Amino acid sequence: MLRLGIAACALAVLALAEGFTFNLASPVASQDFHAKTAAFVFRTQGCAEPAKAQISGTAEGIVNGVHKSVALKIVSMSKPGVYAVYREWPAEGEWLVNLKGTCSDASAGAIVPIGPKGFIRESSKILQHPATEAEIDAALKALTAGGGK
Amino acid sequence: MLTRHPSPRLAAYIDRQLPARKARQTEIHLANCAHCRAECEQVRLGMSALEHLPVIEAPAEIWAAIERASQQRPARQPVMCGRWRLAFAALLILALVGAVYWALGNRSGIRWEVVRLAGSPVVGSQRIQAAGRIGAGEWIETDSGSSATVRIGEIGSVEVEPNTRLRVVVARPAEHRLALAHGEIRAKISAPPRLFFVDTAAGTAVDLGCEYALKVDADEYGRLQVTKGWVSFQWRDLESLVPAGASCRTRAQAGPGIPYFDDAPESVKQALERFSFEKGGDDDLSIILAGSRVRDTLTLWHLLSRVPAEDRGRVFDRIATLTPLPAGVSREQALKLDPQTLKLWKEELAWTW
Repeated sequence: MLRLGIAACALAVLALAEGFTFNLASPVASQDFHAKTAAFVFRTQGCAEPAKAQISGTAEGIVNGVHKSVALKIVSMSKPGVYAVYREWPAEGEWLVNLKGTCSDASAGAIVPIGPKGFIRESSKILQHPATEAEIDAALKALTAGGGK
Repeated sequence: MLTRHPSPRLAAYIDRQLPARKARQTEIHLANCAHCRAECEQVRLGMSALEHLPVIEAPAEIWAAIERASQQRPARQPVMCGRWRLAFAALLILALVGAVYWALGNRSGIRWEVVRLAGSPVVGSQRIQAAGRIGAGEWIETDSGSSATVRIGEIGSVEVEPNTRLRVVVARPAEHRLALAHGEIRAKISAPPRLFFVDTAAGTAVDLGCEYALKVDADEYGRLQVTKGWVSFQWRDLESLVPAGASCRTRAQAGPGIPYFDDAPESVKQALERFSFEKGGDDDLSIILAGSRVRDTLTLWHLLSRVPAEDRGRVFDRIATLTPLPAGVSREQALKLDPQTLKLWKEELAWTW
């Protein structure tokens, strides 16, 4: 019994050692039909109590050369720790989604560029901290320079 | 006039199985008895509905079981009358169930709106000028210059492309079912899964919350292309789960092929076509395995249960090199096609699709 307990603790420590982070995917990954029209979905990893994680997000865009920001409603899906992001930003301009999360003392972030066909998985950045302004600006610059196409 | 009601004879009367004298007596009774006329109408409705029910082949073993049972029991001639009563009661129950089924399916008054998009689509024998209605059992047909939109109750719409023949099979709040004979439709459904179905000769497209195009060619090949959500395409014990961005070829009497992402390498798609419908072999499997990317684990996951048992290990190993195995998925269980293992694996792999 003691060995089992030690093993479970070790596994939990190992899981947390990987760190609190986000995993992005196409809406189909959520296995939830409500996410059908989402721009993308994501889940938290390395969080012992996913239901208690604090998640928020904004859409950051460049429209006619001007930086705009739109607060997003991050929608919880039926499975704990799985969320959907719906398109709430205007069609014009270049946009990315800036995700932030905390789980106990750990933080995570993600910068998710949005292209004409949806979110761009390859150019997305998963961070172990909330994105800084400099990181967002750099990602927007890359996006407007055609990095998201 | 008959003094006793002819209830037990109504089915035989409708079926013209009564001797002439009895039939005449029944006729006279019905002319004078409203209760029996109503009952007769119910039985007639039920029998008519039964004629429309699909014939399902009884499993072979049932005949052997009946034969065994009949050999074990001694013949009981004197109870023939009782048996007839039982048979009639069963028939009456069936007729009533059939009548209810028929009434719900066809007489619910649910008729979906049809809006003309181009040309003159035809519903039944009527040309639709601007808008019309279509109900269960009716066909909508478009020629090369016409198209239309059918509003599927409260749950979405189906665009009927040119040169298409489509029938409404069931129009009920709990089941919306179409049958596509040939041509192409584009469905946009906003409803919980498994409320919208499209039957084809290659199987049934089951909506799991989605938007998709479904095409059936004259040569009986078809293609399902999903743009949002998931569609399950089922035929007998075959099922292809097709997510947004992916397609699946279909063929009459062969069912769904293996789904693939539309941006999959061309060599993989061609090998899949041969593998699914042209008895492709080892060479095609090798092409598919070698050409697959991480997101093509959608294809490989389906392939696992469709290759011969001796090839499953190759497919498993390829998936495992593309993505780490999640907790709870073991090689042994996957190769045995354990349903729980495959489901867990699919749900994890979907995060790369």
